Amino acid sequence: MAGMMQEAPMIKITNLEKFYRTEEVETIALNKLSIEIATGEFVAIMGPSGCGKSTLLNILGMLDDPDAGSYVFNDIEVAHFTERKRADLRKHNIGFVFQSFNLIDELTVFENVELPLIYTGVASAERVKRVEEVLDKMQIMHRRNHYPQQLSGGQQQRVAIARAVVNKPKLILADEPTGNLDSSNGNDVMELLTDLNEQGTTIIMVTHSEHDARYSHRIIRLLDGQSVMENIMV
Amino acid sequence: MLKNFIKIAWRNLYKNKTFSLIHILGLTMGITVCLMIFLYITNEFSVDSFHKQGKNIYRVMRGFDPAKPRTAYLSGPYAPALLNDYPQDIKMAVRVRPQNNLVSFGEKAFNEQKVYATDPGFFKLFSFPLIKGDATTALENPNSVVLTETTAKKYFGSTENAMGKVIQIDKTLQLKVTGIAKDVPSNSHLDFDIVFPIANYTKDAGFNVWINNGLFVYLLLNEHSTQSALESHFTQFMDKYMSKDMQRFGAKFDLKLTPLKGIYFEDASSFDNVRHGDKTVVFIFISIAVLIMLIACINFMNLSTIRAVERSKEVGMRKVMGALRNHLIIQFIGESLLLALISCAISVGLLLMLMPWYNQLLGYKLSVAWNEPPIYLFLVGVILIVGLLAGSYPAFFLSAFSPIEALKGKLRLGKGGTLLRQSLVVLQFSISVLLIIGTIVIMNQMHYIKSKSLGYDKAQTVIVSIDNNDIYDHRRQFKDELQNSGVVSSVSLMSGQPGGFFDTHTFTAEGQHDVFRSRTEFADFEYVKTLGLKIIAGRDFSTQFATDTTNAVLLNRTAAKELGYTPQQALGKWIRNNGRDDKPRTIVGVVEDFNFLSLKENMDALVIAPNDDRRVAVIKLKPGNIPAALASIKEIYAKVAPVYPFEYSFLDQQFNTTYKNDIRQQAMLSIFSGLAIFIACLGLFGLASFTAAKRTKEIGVRKVLGSSVTNILLLLSKDMLKPVLLATVIAMPIGYYCMNKWLQNFAYRTTLHWWIFVLAAVLTFLIALFTISFKSLKAALANPVKSLRSE
Repeated sequence: MAGMMQEAPMIKITNLEKFYRTEEVETIALNKLSIEIATGEFVAIMGPSGCGKSTLLNILGMLDDPDAGSYVFNDIEVAHFTERKRADLRKHNIGFVFQSFNLIDELTVFENVELPLIYTGVASAERVKRVEEVLDKMQIMHRRNHYPQQLSGGQQQRVAIARAVVNKPKLILADEPTGNLDSSNGNDVMELLTDLNEQGTTIIMVTHSEHDARYSHRIIRLLDGQSVMENIMV
Repeated sequence: MLKNFIKIAWRNLYKNKTFSLIHILGLTMGITVCLMIFLYITNEFSVDSFHKQGKNIYRVMRGFDPAKPRTAYLSGPYAPALLNDYPQDIKMAVRVRPQNNLVSFGEKAFNEQKVYATDPGFFKLFSFPLIKGDATTALENPNSVVLTETTAKKYFGSTENAMGKVIQIDKTLQLKVTGIAKDVPSNSHLDFDIVFPIANYTKDAGFNVWINNGLFVYLLLNEHSTQSALESHFTQFMDKYMSKDMQRFGAKFDLKLTPLKGIYFEDASSFDNVRHGDKTVVFIFISIAVLIMLIACINFMNLSTIRAVERSKEVGMRKVMGALRNHLIIQFIGESLLLALISCAISVGLLLMLMPWYNQLLGYKLSVAWNEPPIYLFLVGVILIVGLLAGSYPAFFLSAFSPIEALKGKLRLGKGGTLLRQSLVVLQFSISVLLIIGTIVIMNQMHYIKSKSLGYDKAQTVIVSIDNNDIYDHRRQFKDELQNSGVVSSVSLMSGQPGGFFDTHTFTAEGQHDVFRSRTEFADFEYVKTLGLKIIAGRDFSTQFATDTTNAVLLNRTAAKELGYTPQQALGKWIRNNGRDDKPRTIVGVVEDFNFLSLKENMDALVIAPNDDRRVAVIKLKPGNIPAALASIKEIYAKVAPVYPFEYSFLDQQFNTTYKNDIRQQAMLSIFSGLAIFIACLGLFGLASFTAAKRTKEIGVRKVLGSSVTNILLLLSKDMLKPVLLATVIAMPIGYYCMNKWLQNFAYRTTLHWWIFVLAAVLTFLIALFTISFKSLKAALANPVKSLRSE
């Protein structure tokens, strides 16, 4: 793998460990995992339930910190960043797409997409411009004043993707983005992600679906917190 | 970002109507009560603060019994003598004599109760603004009079018509209207409708007798003088003018000054018929306001926290997108500020609607200073305190969650959180139980007082004041005609009916070295019979003993005891009223003690003597038709005092006037404790909804496994009622302590029965149970298939 890399990888994790402790049991979610992901890659992470996929995605997304090991993002070691620093790095670089969309019910389509721009301090006029641009691209402009409950699942996920990309992130993390969709809507979402990747965005996607995984360049298979196999798609 | 906060706050409110309603309703009620109490308290403390020269105004008080409060009633010569003797200290001295007079203009005649005869400087000393006329000269001419706006309208239709018109006082005095004063505000201890110069009375017999009492003296001190400087001269002053009297009475009279601002809260038992406040009531009100606000805030905290858990997805998503902790804290506090703001706005509206009712409850008109800053400061303060206090806990609690947990909706209210919430509920209900106990005890005490045997017969007894010259001059005829009318079983003329006025005098008594101080009743021979008193030794006054009028006296049991005698021993001993008798009187009888004073006061010594001084006629009716009897009395009254309107009251209604403040407190406390319980139950309702919702799955599983609705109801209610039970246990000893203290106000008081506490507990419990079962029942009755599928 390393031979393929022309430049420093976007993500380089080494010996990453994560435990979950309850009062009596300690569960290992990630067991000395090491992975590299290059800029512009589209990577699928697969594996059975409980293998540590989501934990890995959370750490990559800087929503959680590892218990041991190193995580270098764009040449910056972030494993032990404070919450504030992580949040700062996250909001400028990473977009998230979830299985259950996680749109805020009290906000309209437009306002949901606008939210990341508010937190990164983009001026109001610029926000309107960018939100409209991305809604147009996702073909949901006509739904801009609707609330999430008024949309179909496919539309909701498109709004969620619009929200994830509105800040022009370098990396998109998608956690089973088609899990709540029928196959037709699921394919639409996968096409969207592929488009984004072709335009240069790095994408890491957790999925159970072999079908979806075929859209990626590379599949990393996890079992019990370790990488057991990598398939490179051609 | 701010816009976004407000937007989402508003939509949240709108979306969760039940929660928003509970929030806003509870908070609105809390704020409204606080506002009401705030207005009441500011009014109490603003009394007399509008007088421009207020800080240099004092009222002169005279005392002669170190054990009793001084009285404000002085006689005519004090003011001119003080002004004359201490010109370096006193700038102005104004006498104010409160009286009631028959005032007539043409066909219109009223017995006016709020008439002041004053020195001409009255409107110069006090800042009661005149709408018409000149404050400095309005009362210069003895034949002038100033009316308040309302009084002017009453007689003349308008203030314009009133000026220059001549009204008649007691059919004899002609006074020309020279000024119209603004109506006296409720925050003034002085309260008048009509003011005219006291010069019309200065030549009356008795006016210039030093020992007499009947008017107030107000002094305006010079800027450089002080209260203590002037008071240091008073011993000398009294020696100069009253040494003869002091010798005669065997008592030392002294003078003191009360600053104008202090008059209102002066001991109300100084009996001066001006408005007085009660600091205990103020304290009780402040406590209630704080307690109710606390309950409302606790609701707010608990419900917001619970609600916030339901919003965990939003919180998580915001964090994923880069929201920092303080963003979220600001957002949640912002939302509670918004709620507080809305509640405040509704409260102000509600207050405006409730004002007339509230004034009625208080017994006077509150003046709301809408154009002054304090009320706005108070409102802003409430919004900030409530917003911050109630909003901070959920804000800090929620913002601390990790975004992953929040997104998974796995936010769990930890054990610590549950404990805190439970403690808050305990606190709420402790307060409610406390207020209920208070209400029951007060009601119980009032009932006790109402039904306590007072030692005299108050049934079917009418009181008619002898308060004008006509009735006074014809009082004998009035009494005789009543006795002959056939509707009356007996009539007695006296100085004070039970619960009324009983002046303290000094006596010289056989075998006593010290002067003996006792309350006095000056009455005719029908006194004992009319009031149904019991003679326990000797005999009643009797016409068979020609000398009784001048030589006889009756004591009550306490008076005999204080003189060191048993009732039997007292008979035949002599006693002399230092102020009123030339020669000693013989004690011919002793009556059993009866509660001639309010039950707040201990039994006092009473000397009943037939000296002159008749202020009321107490008329015991024959059993039967009361309206017919009243009609007969009115007819007789009209014969002896034709121009005066006939006014009467019943002796058993005296209760309502004597315990006016206590009755008011009882009403207020009932209302406020009802509100407190209601607000607390709103919170409980919210918690119950939350618990029921949270346990939907559990309930579903239990039902599938065969649990009955009753079982589930029991299960849900049990947990919710635990804090209520604990609250009752905590509140009881506190309630016992507080109410025991309150009861100390009464010399005669009911015991704190155990059932009061049980009743309060059961009541709270039932209300709480009712609140909870509403939601629990719904949860228990729900189809389990539905609840399990939704998981």
